[in-house]
Amino acid sequence: MSVFAYAFEEARASLVRGGRGALMSVGTIAIAFLALGGFLMVTTNLQRYVQQWMESAELSVFLRDDIGEQEREVVRARLADDAAVLRVDYLTKDAALERFRSDFPELADVSSSIGGNPFPASFEVRLRPGAGVADNAAALSRAVMPLDGVADVQFDRQWLERVLSLIAGVRMAGLAVTVVLLLGAAFTVTAVVRLSLHERRDELDIMQLVGAPMAFIRGPFVVEGLLLGGMGALLALLMLGAGVATLRTWLGREAAGLLGGQSIAFLGASDLLLLTTAGLAVGAVAGLVASRAAR
Amino acid sequence: MIETQNLGKAYGPGFYALRNLTLTIEKGEFVFLTGASGAGKTTLFKLLLLQERPTEGDVVVAGRNLARLAPRDVQAYRRTVGFVFQDFKLIPTKTVFDNVSFALRVLGVPVDQQRRRTYQVLKWVGLQHRLQSYPPELSGGEQQRVAIARALVNDPQLVLADEPTGNLDPELSIEIMKLFREINTAGTTVLVATHNPELIRFVGKRSIHLEHGRLDQGEGPL
Repeated sequence: MSVFAYAFEEARASLVRGGRGALMSVGTIAIAFLALGGFLMVTTNLQRYVQQWMESAELSVFLRDDIGEQEREVVRARLADDAAVLRVDYLTKDAALERFRSDFPELADVSSSIGGNPFPASFEVRLRPGAGVADNAAALSRAVMPLDGVADVQFDRQWLERVLSLIAGVRMAGLAVTVVLLLGAAFTVTAVVRLSLHERRDELDIMQLVGAPMAFIRGPFVVEGLLLGGMGALLALLMLGAGVATLRTWLGREAAGLLGGQSIAFLGASDLLLLTTAGLAVGAVAGLVASRAAR
Repeated sequence: MIETQNLGKAYGPGFYALRNLTLTIEKGEFVFLTGASGAGKTTLFKLLLLQERPTEGDVVVAGRNLARLAPRDVQAYRRTVGFVFQDFKLIPTKTVFDNVSFALRVLGVPVDQQRRRTYQVLKWVGLQHRLQSYPPELSGGEQQRVAIARALVNDPQLVLADEPTGNLDPELSIEIMKLFREINTAGTTVLVATHNPELIRFVGKRSIHLEHGRLDQGEGPL
C-alpha cells in the first residue's frame, strides 16, 4: 500500500475517532473561510456593479442658449472626433423639456409655471466602456469646456472611482481579518492534530521502532490537517452558496432593480478553487507543524 | 554483530546509566544480558535501538557505528532489528494480523507478500487461529508471541528482547524462550535481557552481567 493510501486511511480513522475535536476544527476553518468568501463575494459584486455603471458613463455638455450653428458644429466635431467617444446625441431645449415632463410627470406643472423653457440644449456623449473611462471623461471635459458656446460639462462618475477605492480598502480589511481568522483556524487544526498524535503516541513509538519511513509516521497527520482544512473550506462555500440562494429568493426583483437588473453573483470558479486550495493548504501546513512532534 | 567500545551514557553530570562498556556479541550468537534493576540493561537496549545516543564511546551493530549514524539512516537501521518488550507494545485497536503485518505495511511491502509472510510467522508462533483477535482479548503469553511474530516478520539480523517474560508465568516464559532459541537456531543474533536465572539455565547460553552501568568481569557462559 502506498504511503498516500496509508496516510488517507489513517487520517480518516483518526477523524472519525476525533469526533467533536474534528468538528470544532472544521467549524473554525469554516468561519475563517466564510469571512474570506463573504468579503470576496461582497466586494466582487460591488466592484461589478460600479464597473458596470462606470462603463455606461455619459458626459453631458450643456450649451449656452445663444450658441450659434457654427459654434455648435465645432463642439460636436470635437466630441465626435475624440477616440474615447462612442456616440454623440444632440438634445434640443424642447427635447430636454419634454424629457423632464416625461421623467417627472408630477413636476410637469412646475415647468409650465416658470414660463419659457429653462432647460439648455446639450450634447449627450456616451463614452467607450472599459478601464480608464473616468480619466477619458475628465480629459474630454477639460478639452470641451473652453470652447465657445459651452455653458457647462457634467461628468458625475468620479465618485464611482472613489467607491472603487473604498471597495479595494474593504477588500484589504477583509483579507486582514481573514488572515487573523485563518491563523486561529490553523492553531485549532494544529491542536486537534496534536491531540490525535498524542492519542496515537504508542503506535507512533512502535512505528519508529519497526523503522517506518518518516512519510508513514507523519503523513497521516499532514493528511488529517489537509482533510480538516478542505472540509472547513467546503463547508464555508456551501454556507455561502446557501446564503446567496436565500438572498436571491428574498430580495427577488427589488434587488435586481437595485443592482441594475442583475442578481447577486456567487464566487467565480477561480475564487472557489482559490478558497478550496487555501483551505487544504492551511490544514496541511497546520498538520505538518503538528506532525513535527512525531519524532 | 554487536561491538561496544568504552560505551557510556550519562543523563547529566555524574549520572551514568552505562559507563566504559566494552563487549562483543558475535553474529548468530544467543546472549543473555543480566543485572539488577538500574544496572543499565534497558539503557543498552535503547542505545541499540537508537532511541537514545551514547554520550561516550562507540557501539557498532552489523558494521554501523550507531554513535555516528546520521538521523536519516536511523529508520533504515531499525528495519534490521527486531524488538520484543516486557509490555508487548502491541496496538490495542488493531487485530493480531494487523499488528504483525503493520511492520511490513509501513515499509511498503506489497499486500500479497504482507499477508503471506504475516500468516507464516503467526503460524510459527502458534497463533494462526487468533488472526482476527485484538490484543486485549489475548493472554499475556499470546500477546508476547504476537510481539515476537512482529519482531521476526521482516527477517531481522538481530532480535533484542527486554525482559520478554517479565509479565509471564514460568511455564509461558519457557515457551517464549523456546521460540527465541528457535529464532537463534535459524541464524538470527538474539540478545535477551532478563534477571531470571532459571531461563538462562534453561537455554544454556552465554550471559553478560551488568552492574551499576558497568560490565561485571564475571561475564561468561553459565
